[in-house]
Amino acid sequence: MTERLELVVIGAGPAGMEAAIAAAEANMAVTVIDGYARPGGQYFKQVSPPLKSDNLTARQKQAEFLFGRMEELGVRVFSDTLVWNAYPAIEKGEWMLSLYGPGAPDSLQTKSLIIASGTYDRPVPFPGWTLPGVMTAGAVQIMLKTQQIIPGHRFLLSGTGPLQLAVGAQLIQAGAEVVAVLEANSVGLAQFRHAPAMWGQWAKLREGWDYWSTLRRAGVPLHYGRAVIEARGQQEVEEVVTARLDTDMTPIPGTEQTVAVDTLVIGYGFLPSTELTRLLGCDHDYVPEQLYYVPRRNDEMQTSLPGVYAAGDGAGVGGVELSRIEGRIAGLAAARELGHLDAATARNLLAREQPALARERRFARMLTEMFAIGPGFTALAKDDTYICRCEEVTKQEIVEAIELGSDSLIWVKRMTRAGMGLCQGRVCGQWIARLLAEQLNKDPVDMLLDTVRPPIRPIPMCSSEVSNND
Amino acid sequence: MRVAQSNSNLPVIERGQPISLQVNGQLVSAYEGETIAGVLFAEGRRILRHTMKDSRPRSIFCGIGVCYDCLVTVNGAPNVRACVTPVTEGMVIETQTRERK
Repeated sequence: MTERLELVVIGAGPAGMEAAIAAAEANMAVTVIDGYARPGGQYFKQVSPPLKSDNLTARQKQAEFLFGRMEELGVRVFSDTLVWNAYPAIEKGEWMLSLYGPGAPDSLQTKSLIIASGTYDRPVPFPGWTLPGVMTAGAVQIMLKTQQIIPGHRFLLSGTGPLQLAVGAQLIQAGAEVVAVLEANSVGLAQFRHAPAMWGQWAKLREGWDYWSTLRRAGVPLHYGRAVIEARGQQEVEEVVTARLDTDMTPIPGTEQTVAVDTLVIGYGFLPSTELTRLLGCDHDYVPEQLYYVPRRNDEMQTSLPGVYAAGDGAGVGGVELSRIEGRIAGLAAARELGHLDAATARNLLAREQPALARERRFARMLTEMFAIGPGFTALAKDDTYICRCEEVTKQEIVEAIELGSDSLIWVKRMTRAGMGLCQGRVCGQWIARLLAEQLNKDPVDMLLDTVRPPIRPIPMCSSEVSNND
Repeated sequence: MRVAQSNSNLPVIERGQPISLQVNGQLVSAYEGETIAGVLFAEGRRILRHTMKDSRPRSIFCGIGVCYDCLVTVNGAPNVRACVTPVTEGMVIETQTRERK
C-alpha cells in the first residue's frame, strides 16, 4: 500500500532543507528524500561523524541550525535514497515517486513535490581529461573539507569563477603545492559594470578577498584569459598544456606552455540537475551564457506543472543564499496551496523574502555573466578525445554518427552508445548537444532537451519495484 | 595524502577510529569516516579501475557520485562508487580491470 503524502522534498541541500522547514513550520507533514548518507547537500556537507569539523565553524553552525530545526519539526528524512522515477498518479494532480534506498519505501504518492536536486561541476572535454589526476574543483574541495585528504602533490587549477580561488586557498592551507590558478575569463574595465550588483554583498566579497590574499601570500600566480587545453601522462597526469584564450574562449595558437603537475583541478562552473523536472515534462528555458537548461518557474518557484516546485541550484545555479530563499518560498507556497497557511499570512511571509531574493538574483546574474563559458570551448576536444567517458565514445565517432543522419541526442546514443553509460549523459549530454547544434547549424536550444527515462539513476535490478514491474 | 598537522594552517585535526581493510589483497589502515576514495588516495593509489573497452585508467572525477567513473568492487559487489561510499572495518576492495564481472 503506497503512502499518500502532502509534500515530498527531493534533496536535502540548502534549498531542500529550507523548503522542508518552511512547510513544516506551517504544520505540514514533510518527507525529504536525499541521495547522500547525511543531509546537507554539497555546501553543508557534514564532516563524517568521527572527524571533527575544521575551520568551517560559521558554515557548520548554520548547518547544525538547519539540521536541528528539521529534527525539532519532525521532518522525516530518507537518506542514501535515490528517486529513480516520477510520474503522475491515477488521482489527478498527485505524483508517484519510485525510490531505492535502505529503509525507504519502494514508492510514495504525494500532492506536492519540491525538487531541490542541486548542481554538479560542469565537465569540459579536452584531450587527456579522463586521466587519473584530472578532478573537478568540487571533488577536490569535498576531499579536503570532509576528510582532510589532499588528492595529489603538485596542483594546477584551470576554470572560471570564484570557487577556483576558494579551492586554491584551501589547498594552500592544507599544505599542498599550487603552481598556478588559471581564470579562463579576462578581467578588464568592462567588469566595473557589475559594481551595482556587488553593492551590499560584503560578506561574499570579503570571502573572495581572503582567498585571493591567501594565494598571493603563498606566491601562487593568478593568470587571466588562460586555460588548460590538454593533460598528458601515461597512467596519471604528468604535465598539462595551457594556452591563452581569445574573447570567445578559443585557444590562441603559439601561446602554449607546458607545466609539470600531477593534479589538474578543473572548475568551469556548474550544471543544474534537471533530470526530474525533465522526466516529469516541466517546461524548460535555455541560459545561453551558461549553456544549460532550467525549468521555467513562476515567482513562487512553481514549475509549469501545478504542485511541482523547483528550488535552488537545480533550477539555475545561484549559490547557497539564493537557494535558501528559493527553498523557503517554495515551502511556503506549497503549504498555502494545501490550506496550511491562509492567503494573508502566506502573502506576508512571501513578501519578507522578496528583497533578499532580488539582491541574490542580481548577484547570481552577475556571476553567470562574468564567468560565462565561451563558444570556443567546444573546440578543445580533438577528434580522438572521448566525449562520453562512460562508453568511451570519441568526438569523431559522434560527428560521424551525425553525418550519417543522427539529428538528436537519442539518435547519437542509438548509433554510438554515447550517453548510454552509468552517468546517463549527465557528463556528455550538453557537449553532444553542442556538437549536434554546430554540425546541423541549429540552435542548441533545440538540441539539449532529450527524453529522460527511468531509472534516472542506476539501481540494481533486484530492486523490488523494478521486479514488480516485470 | 592525509593533511599533516605540522604542514597545514588548519586547526586541530582529529580523525576517527583506526580500522583496517583490504585493497587488492593488501592490508591497508584507514580511519572511520573516510570514503573508499579518500583511503585509496591517502595511500597514493589514484588509479581506481581500467575501462572495459579501451583499458584506460580512471579515477575520481566529479567526487559527488554523478559521473560513475570511480567504480570499485566492494566485498564482491562490482560498480560501487568509491567517492561516496564510507569504508568499514574488514572491507574487501578490489580495483576493476577490463574483464567484465
